[in-house]
Amino acid sequence: MRPIPKFQYHSPESVSEALSLLVELENASPVIGGSDLMIAMRNGVIAPSHVVDLNEINELNYIKEEAGVIKIGATATHTQVASNLIVAQVHSLVDSVSRIGSPQIRNRGTITGNICNASPAADSAPPLLVHGAEVEIKSLDGSRVIPIADLFTGPKMNCLETGELLTEIRIPVPPAGAASSYKRIGRRKAFTLSVVSSAAYIQMDDETCTDAKVAFGSVAITPIRVPEAENLLKGSKLDKETIKAASKAVYEAVKPITDVRGTAEYRKDMCPVLMRRAIDQCLERLR
Amino acid sequence: MPSADEAGDRPVLGEAEVKTMEVNFTLNGEKATVDVPPYTTLTDMLRDEMNIQSVKKGCEHGECGACTLLVNGLPVASCIILAPQVEGKHITTLEGLEHKAMMIDLRQAYIENGAIQCGFCTPGMLISSYALLRDNQNPSPDEVKLAIEGNICRCTGFTKIIEAVLDAAERIAVE
Repeated sequence: MRPIPKFQYHSPESVSEALSLLVELENASPVIGGSDLMIAMRNGVIAPSHVVDLNEINELNYIKEEAGVIKIGATATHTQVASNLIVAQVHSLVDSVSRIGSPQIRNRGTITGNICNASPAADSAPPLLVHGAEVEIKSLDGSRVIPIADLFTGPKMNCLETGELLTEIRIPVPPAGAASSYKRIGRRKAFTLSVVSSAAYIQMDDETCTDAKVAFGSVAITPIRVPEAENLLKGSKLDKETIKAASKAVYEAVKPITDVRGTAEYRKDMCPVLMRRAIDQCLERLR
Repeated sequence: MPSADEAGDRPVLGEAEVKTMEVNFTLNGEKATVDVPPYTTLTDMLRDEMNIQSVKKGCEHGECGACTLLVNGLPVASCIILAPQVEGKHITTLEGLEHKAMMIDLRQAYIENGAIQCGFCTPGMLISSYALLRDNQNPSPDEVKLAIEGNICRCTGFTKIIEAVLDAAERIAVE
């Protein structure tokens, strides 16, 4: 087995200390769960000279609700998120993180790591997209808050600059009458990368759909939403004809590639299927 | 695949530049202090420095579960954890659970249900099974499958392992 490259290890206890280290040290990588970084180092993809462990920063380990916003600190693990009563109202996120990896991975890995790794297949991305999540990014110069969609700039690429850390994920508390769901297809159920995935967010007022968002993973260079389909769903009764039209819009919008996990054709075909399953589950959850 | 040295355009640290670190933790209830380079995995530290042999080196990518142990009570893959990351933590391996009644029942159920063949996955499987039964004494077959989804067995086809865990749960309920 290839050895892990040599590096120095740092374990800051505050965000400001971590930010200083990331600026002062050359070629430094932050780590939380290690389920991406350790493997990238093992595979020779990355060879940091310094690893900055964020796990001991107590101020980053929280899940709380403040003024209508659910706030998830950077080091909250998938296990903590999946079992949290505040996050329970973000249905699709629970669907997703409760099945990411395996128990061993969920006990270490974080949503922060999942989205910063920025795989087009990142399981937590479609739920965050449909819930209109934002992320807080801090540096020594201050902080900025951006929509989750802006974090992803390409396959395995995010918009963070050197010296910046993603410190918090913010999700608006879903209003009454709203539900979401996440559906994915993998080569198997357990511990697998998604071949294709979809999240749906539906808000109903009586029989009418007042808000709709749909997002997809593994069908473009980043996880994406499909506004063309959302616009058709919004204001409709989610009748058969509307769903059919939205399915067609999704089929036309997604541009997947063929790779070892699946073909472009298969992924394209499955997008409307997964969206319909996700919408159906939203409606079930609202019953 | 590029080598680590070719991977980045920036220099990789030479051995002389990296100092060893003292790591203090509790291993199976006893205080331990080890001096290791910071890029040592928890798996390697336990196997090479503490003679803990139940923690197996399988995929070393966090996928196969052969290196599973408990950190502060939670099952984790020790091959993707760095030694200095367990500073102040409680580590429990199979060696530390040998005499626990629940583990004795589990072990017997594994033996009697044919859940062990080559044995390489067994320590990790037992740790995941133990963590499940500790929190849920009456698991459904689906809950057992979920608990061991991070442990790969290439001999048994999993069915016998699932049966063994359910059998162990019954044995524990009777006691």
